[in-house]
Amino acid sequence: MTAVIQTKELGKRYHNRWALAGCTLSIPAGYVVGLVGPNGAGKTTLINLATGMLAPTTGTIEVLGGRPAAGPAQLARVGYVAQDPPVYAGLPIADHLKLGAHLNPGWDAELASRRIERLGLDPKQKAGTLSGGQRAQLALTMAVAKQPELLILDEPVASLDPLARREFLQDLMETVAEHEVSVVLSSHLISDLERACDYVIVLVDSRVQVAGPVDELLATHHLLSGPRRDPASLPGGMQVIFASHTDVQTTLLVRTSGRVFDPGWTVSEVGLEDLVLAYMKQAARPAPGNNHRHLEVQK
Amino acid sequence: MIWLTWRQFRAQAITAAVALAVFAILLIATESHLTSLYNSNGLLTCHGDACAGLAGNFLNDLSSGGGFLFIPSTSGYAILYFVSILVILIAPAIIGVFWGAPLIASELEAGTFRLTWNQSITRTRWLAVKLTLIGVAAMAVTEAFSLIQAWWAAPIGKAVGLGGSSGVFSEGRFGVFVFPTHGITPLGYAAFGFALGVTVGLISRRPISAMAITLAIFAAAQFFTPLWIRPNLLPTSHTTTTMAAAGANVSVRANPKLTISASAVPGQSGAWIISSGGVNAAGQPVAIIPAACETAAAQVLGTHRGTSTLNSGQTALNSCVASQGIRVAESYQPASHYWPLQWAETGMYLALALAMSGYCFWRLNRRRS
Repeated sequence: MTAVIQTKELGKRYHNRWALAGCTLSIPAGYVVGLVGPNGAGKTTLINLATGMLAPTTGTIEVLGGRPAAGPAQLARVGYVAQDPPVYAGLPIADHLKLGAHLNPGWDAELASRRIERLGLDPKQKAGTLSGGQRAQLALTMAVAKQPELLILDEPVASLDPLARREFLQDLMETVAEHEVSVVLSSHLISDLERACDYVIVLVDSRVQVAGPVDELLATHHLLSGPRRDPASLPGGMQVIFASHTDVQTTLLVRTSGRVFDPGWTVSEVGLEDLVLAYMKQAARPAPGNNHRHLEVQK
Repeated sequence: MIWLTWRQFRAQAITAAVALAVFAILLIATESHLTSLYNSNGLLTCHGDACAGLAGNFLNDLSSGGGFLFIPSTSGYAILYFVSILVILIAPAIIGVFWGAPLIASELEAGTFRLTWNQSITRTRWLAVKLTLIGVAAMAVTEAFSLIQAWWAAPIGKAVGLGGSSGVFSEGRFGVFVFPTHGITPLGYAAFGFALGVTVGLISRRPISAMAITLAIFAAAQFFTPLWIRPNLLPTSHTTTTMAAAGANVSVRANPKLTISASAVPGQSGAWIISSGGVNAAGQPVAIIPAACETAAAQVLGTHRGTSTLNSGQTALNSCVASQGIRVAESYQPASHYWPLQWAETGMYLALALAMSGYCFWRLNRRRS
């Protein structure tokens, strides 16, 4: 099966600043992919490159095997919900659906109006008067009704209150289950994605720190704790992602393909949230004091 | 895409239709009276030199007390004539500002381009449909204003062509207000104004600033075209003739500089005089009013505020300058150049509009950064 998104040494530079650099990814089809990273890490840049809203400075990107936004056929295969979903404030919901029907050959009008009805929205209501959550729902409806193979959502829940956030993601998951569609959604909150995603990409400081299916990541990462010692004394094949020391104890997050046999360590499973945070901290560490990013964690 | 273009353009289209309807009703309602005035002044049956005087009478009637629907005893026709020309003159600017500038800029500002450009339609097609439909509407509306006004003002144009002149009714068809509002030039200006607005909007990304910049650039183009561009679209003709034959007056405003304004080119009725100046028998330009005519010039200057002796003083100065062997060198466009100049100016602005549209397509597909 072709990758939904395949990039090779992808980079985007604004003036002197690299918003995204050296990004090589291959995301298989059928996943709900969470793109996680602090604000300004390059998530939106990667998404804009995938939707063809931007052209890369270096490297290549293919979406569903084609160049992003290359033509009507390619555009029809990708549904996109932009950050703070834009709508035509002066046009009613019904006209947005009409717009979708006129501009998309694969438009499922019945699906669209059923969704609007289920959300309890009045088709005659002007889109400018909708709440943030309703606007996000309208944008998602438009993206889904064109029946894409890939749905890309940029921070879809960032501006929603916790209840709307939960409802939106639940609705998204139901939609994914109903239609066989791959999803890429970004968020700076790991907790948003934990329930929804089965594939994670961690993006920090314009670079991909780790990417892979959630179960695979959880199976290959372990939390080791034991008496204080130097992480360099670990056997080969183990990569230390994060280490913390107290006077007597050392805690390590390691990545290894095999099992950990050293009886000196207490081995425990790691949660997705801790795993992602560890990668974020690792990325933030090499340059202390310089451009220190604030990690947003919502428990 | 046609549906979306119409849906987003609907309000502007209705506004334009209403404006055009009001314009047409005003002119249609007054046209028969205007034509009857023309006929009652005997302009249908006149011959030769008599016509000029009759044409003058007709235009005087119009500008003084010709009567007009709701302003019966004032110069309603003068107002209507002036305003109707002004409407055609500024219609392309309004189109550029209100149709062109927000076309892309408002999508960029509101972020809605992210919505529309991610439907199953390329940006090229999106822009092509919008530019074509609204561009054609812009040209059609402006030309409609122009044609209605030309039909209404035909008697005035004929009277000015016969040599009549009074108040606002003094411009021939090469006039700075008349030329760009009649014939086919409104098409060029409308296309240019619209494309200019779209392009500035795409570059500035802010509708309000795009509107202001569009207005400034369009006004500059409209202002400088008759000064620098139109006279040079075709090679000018030159002739040297006597003061009398050129119907020339010596102006004392710049005294002692010699400034001569000609009103006719011998054998070239209806020509557009671009420049005129005094030359001596050897054909050298004369810059200063001759010393022998200083008295005459002083007299004109002295009587400038009075009116009774102005004409005789001016005539004396003119013949004094002529008696010093000074002739008038004129450069002009002959009347036969009217349509070639119309085509050239329209073509130039259409080409600019096309070039700017091409730039928009290129820039839109280069992808934003």
